[in-house]
Amino acid sequence: MIKLSDYLHAVGGSNLTPAIDAEEIGITDGYVCDMLSDVMGSAKAGQAWITIMKHLNVVAVASMTGIPAIVFAKGGVPEAPVIEKALEEGICLITSALTPFELAGILYKQLEN
Amino acid sequence: MRWFNADLHIHSVLSPCGGLEMSPRELVARLKTIGIDWFAITDHNSMANCPAYEAVAKRAGIEFTWGMELQTSEEIHLLVYFDNVVLAQAFDQEVYASLLPLDNDADFFGDQVIIDENENILSVEQRALSNSSLWDLNTAVEMALAHDGFCVPAHVDSGVNSIISQLGFLPEKPRFNAFGITARADVSRFLQKQPVFSGKTLIRSSDAHYLSDLGSGFSRIRVLEAGASELAKAALRLDHRNIII
Repeated sequence: MIKLSDYLHAVGGSNLTPAIDAEEIGITDGYVCDMLSDVMGSAKAGQAWITIMKHLNVVAVASMTGIPAIVFAKGGVPEAPVIEKALEEGICLITSALTPFELAGILYKQLEN
Repeated sequence: MRWFNADLHIHSVLSPCGGLEMSPRELVARLKTIGIDWFAITDHNSMANCPAYEAVAKRAGIEFTWGMELQTSEEIHLLVYFDNVVLAQAFDQEVYASLLPLDNDADFFGDQVIIDENENILSVEQRALSNSSLWDLNTAVEMALAHDGFCVPAHVDSGVNSIISQLGFLPEKPRFNAFGITARADVSRFLQKQPVFSGKTLIRSSDAHYLSDLGSGFSRIRVLEAGASELAKAALRLDHRNIII
């Protein structure tokens, strides 16, 4: 288990939902995928989800699967309604300039330690 | 009002995955043989071949509608149909400008050939058409509506490039009045798996890339005349219009 805030720092990311404190969110695992139907079927609660998909449905999928944080790779920033929806659902949104591979690698290492 | 046997999702020789056998004359002859009297050409991200197929269809006395299979940034395949050729061509140009600037690998995907009605090659499209537009689904639908296009999410029962495979479930917006299904879709099983489509209008088509695929899936459509706006009205079952799969 790591704090989302530690991961946020490690990937040079920014919190798109500052009302949700990354300090308070625990991450136990990760999932990397851009196909929402697959994420719905395979992602687990407690995972940070790394994706480039920014459609509104990402928030609902995260909510359904119990994902506490979505990490948008390659500097992706979703539109305002997506961020609003995430705030409503209590899901932390992060953006980082790194690629999904780099983001996953850093998360994997942090979880291993 | 009259009934048509309609196959409204067909690829021409422009689609890199389409066979070069899909020439206008061969394609129209085959449609006539199997009794399809209304069709649309829906190439990936382009309507460049619609004029050639429309001309041959007219000569053969079967109905033709301009269409496109647009790939959004979420990699959703969206069918868009037009009645107004000027608006269709304006939309076509907007789509072209929105495509990722990648070249087609002809050795891998095959050539993307633009032809005239006599099957002379006018040009070979260099830009990769089997790619995504930078438009997301909402933008794509807005752009289509701004050009009087009628949007139908393609092959919603498919595990690839469908609104369901890409978005997990049907978003509330944009609202669609019709959804495409594959030639072989088992509708009752599909509706069991995806009850959200119960009561919604489904349109079956072949998604043909080869002559032998033509008519493998079609819909019986009752409209005043063949066309995009009539199709939109049929999707709502207005004034006894109907779509039967």
